[in-house]
Amino acid sequence: MKRPGRTLAEVLAVLAAAAIAFPLYWMVLSALKPESEVISSDPKPWTLQPSLDNFTRVLTTQGFGRYFLNSVLVALVVVALSLLISFLAATALTRLRFRGRTLLLVMLLVAQMVPVEALTIPMFFLMRSVGDAVPAFGLNQLGGLVLVHLAFSLPFAIWMLRGFVAAVPVELEEAATLDGASRQRFLWQVLFPLVAPGLVATSVLSFIHAWNDFLFAKTFIISASENQTLPLALLAFFKPDQNDWGAIMAGSTLMTVPVLVFFVLVQRRLVSGLAGAVKG
Amino acid sequence: MTTQALAAPRRMADWARRAPLLPALLFMIVVTQLPFVATLVISFLQWNALDPKSRGFAGLDNYATVIVDPDLRSSVLSTIVLTVSVVLVSLVLGLGLALLLDKKFRGRGAVRTMLIAPFLVVPVAAALLWKHVLFNPEYGLFNGVLTWIWGLFGGATPPQPDWISSMPKIAIEASLVWQWTPFMMLILLAGLQSRPMDAIEAAKMDGATGWQVFRYLTLPHLRQYLELGGLLGSIYIVQNFDAVFTITSGGLGTANLPYTIYQTFFQAHDYGQASAAGVVVVIASIIIATFALRVVSSLLRNEVQS
Repeated sequence: MKRPGRTLAEVLAVLAAAAIAFPLYWMVLSALKPESEVISSDPKPWTLQPSLDNFTRVLTTQGFGRYFLNSVLVALVVVALSLLISFLAATALTRLRFRGRTLLLVMLLVAQMVPVEALTIPMFFLMRSVGDAVPAFGLNQLGGLVLVHLAFSLPFAIWMLRGFVAAVPVELEEAATLDGASRQRFLWQVLFPLVAPGLVATSVLSFIHAWNDFLFAKTFIISASENQTLPLALLAFFKPDQNDWGAIMAGSTLMTVPVLVFFVLVQRRLVSGLAGAVKG
Repeated sequence: MTTQALAAPRRMADWARRAPLLPALLFMIVVTQLPFVATLVISFLQWNALDPKSRGFAGLDNYATVIVDPDLRSSVLSTIVLTVSVVLVSLVLGLGLALLLDKKFRGRGAVRTMLIAPFLVVPVAAALLWKHVLFNPEYGLFNGVLTWIWGLFGGATPPQPDWISSMPKIAIEASLVWQWTPFMMLILLAGLQSRPMDAIEAAKMDGATGWQVFRYLTLPHLRQYLELGGLLGSIYIVQNFDAVFTITSGGLGTANLPYTIYQTFFQAHDYGQASAAGVVVVIASIIIATFALRVVSSLLRNEVQS
């Protein structure tokens, strides 16, 4: 027997979910509506003439596919590298004792608090110098963009993973060493699987961070339009006099889908992943 | 003698143990700290790209300008208002939703995915959605709903407010709350699901009401999660640029610090002053974060004791 309070809570949850997700339904709907209906002053919550015109217009616009691939590539490389580096760095910051460890952890957060807009100019000059030495990581290059995103996703990733590494008892490492496991083996075969839920949670955040970025792509990819990423493609449908809302909503829908897919794939592990971030 | 002789190989072994981790640590330090150090250096320079000849050391001049500039002061205030209101409202709503989702029921997975979806929308797209699809006075959803409700009761002239110009701050806050509530809900849900259930069962056996369980067991347990959500949310929302830029273009008194810094950089080209403003933001964030965390945790602690 269910208590009536529980049923009420479930009804509330469903209603809240409907209200919160409704703007998204509206986004997809606007993308499917013919143009006259999108700007009608009597908006209807359905359409009798759904069409994929807006989507085809977006997809056939010059460069959208290319931008899409660039975005996917940058986001995936950022996720992979930030997982690898943050796992090793978080282990170092949890397990190795050295002078200035706490300071370093605090500085990671401090660097994160600088408004991104204030960092773009110093980063612009840094990237120009890096580009002189290693062209693949300079301005106008996807490699450079990856480097910038790493700088901004690593602090969070490390802070989140620290709790997971700390929750693995030191005795386990001692036991592994006694059994003759090398440091490398311990790292990859014992510790790595144990912190996997944390890795899932951090990879979701890194992915969203890289995928959503607008400012860095706009600032650091100046003259190489073939290396642009997706958020800038949305701008192609902004015109001074008449904005193409149907196409903008179709583009927004297309941009949201990969994040949604990524999230649905990992969502079961995400909650336990976030829980572990606090244990440290 | 012997201890010294033993110390050298031991140190070698220590370094061998550390070696696999060091490249990552070094890379992290370089990548995350270098831009910050560069900002610090530039903040002490007189450097305006429109006036390249007068480039040089400026001492604390940029900081003095930043502190007395009325535009910056008002943007500090709107940054604080925006951050505090969005974080608090989305924490409260997120807690409510997390409590609703805590127990299993049919369709919970679908409901959870629907609730988290706003967090997954690209911020630029979300801001556009709110500005043009929901708030638009002519064909926006909100005014459409008003017309529909008025129509139901036979009213001839439904109110058609221009949401963004009549309440610009609330418009931006609403769109950010919509995006951040799901994030808070996820973190708090993680907290709820890691509660020690035996203590709660015991309390219920002893006749504790639902409210008592929530206040004396659940809430104290959630403290760390509320702090984590508050901290991560604050850092992101202090930085928010997309929503302010897209919805009001910083007009109508909504310009926050990132927006003002953006203008100083990309329109006034005053690199020194913009960097100094950036450093001031960091110092202010640290003070506010320390203060806010203390207040919140002491509040919760008192509640547990009382």
